Amino acid sequence: MAIQLGGKGGAMSEPNVVPLIDVLLVLIIIFMAITPTTPVGLKAQVPQPAPPNEKPEMQTRTIVVQVARDGGLKINEQPVTWSTLGTQLVAVFKERAPGDRVAFIKGDKDVPYLYVARAIDIMSASDVEMVGLLTKKVEEGQ
Amino acid sequence: MAYKPKAGATLSEPNVIPMADIMLVLLIIMMITVPRLQQGTSVDMATVANPVQMKDAEKEDAVLLSITHDGTIFFRTTKIHLTDVTPQVRDALKDRLDKVVYIKADQRAKYGDVTAVVDDVRAAGDEQIGLITEKLTDPAVEVEGPKGGG
Repeated sequence: MAIQLGGKGGAMSEPNVVPLIDVLLVLIIIFMAITPTTPVGLKAQVPQPAPPNEKPEMQTRTIVVQVARDGGLKINEQPVTWSTLGTQLVAVFKERAPGDRVAFIKGDKDVPYLYVARAIDIMSASDVEMVGLLTKKVEEGQ
Repeated sequence: MAYKPKAGATLSEPNVIPMADIMLVLLIIMMITVPRLQQGTSVDMATVANPVQMKDAEKEDAVLLSITHDGTIFFRTTKIHLTDVTPQVRDALKDRLDKVVYIKADQRAKYGDVTAVVDDVRAAGDEQIGLITEKLTDPAVEVEGPKGGG
């Protein structure tokens, strides 16, 4: 080793950065792999049954978005398209106070979950603060 | 020829430190990724344009239900029957302050299977649902809606 140091003194003055680059590259790969794994999702609510002595209210003002088996959409029985759902909802909720912007979603039992997820996505992007899932038991009032 | 033995002598000991560095980092990667992979069961999640971050869903004690495309239900990583959803969720939520149940459903799952699980979660006394999805990265699909992108 002493021979090598003496003979290559000039070469040793430049530190070898290749291992450093290797480690940094691997670190970059780690960060690239980890960042997208943070889970993302859509918030939704399921209303709990009201206490028996309380009357359910605001029935007429409830907004229900329905997803049919073929992927067709309806807002309160009125057909809409996927591209206009957002603007329709914004128009409906414009007059409502924040905190009152609640909409429910109901899907056919055979419709793929993706359609419903996309509809909830559009709803939460267009001023709906709370998306309620209208399930069978919720509808039956149990 | 007088030079050759000298060069051979220096090369006889390869420098393993960079290799060790890389191996260490790889080890750290494995340590980080393995528990993440065990989080729930992997399903083909629905892609949506505007999801919100749900950091709590990746916690080890998160109440996470997965629904595969054929309607099989997994509580965390164990396969359970639909009738066991309510007691399991109630048990898991018993002494928790954040009563959020995360549902990770396959995008091809029938919505009826999802609502059946949601009904049972509701029966366990939960109101807050987090539907775990993936962020949609292709903006063209978003405009087309599910019919085009599905």
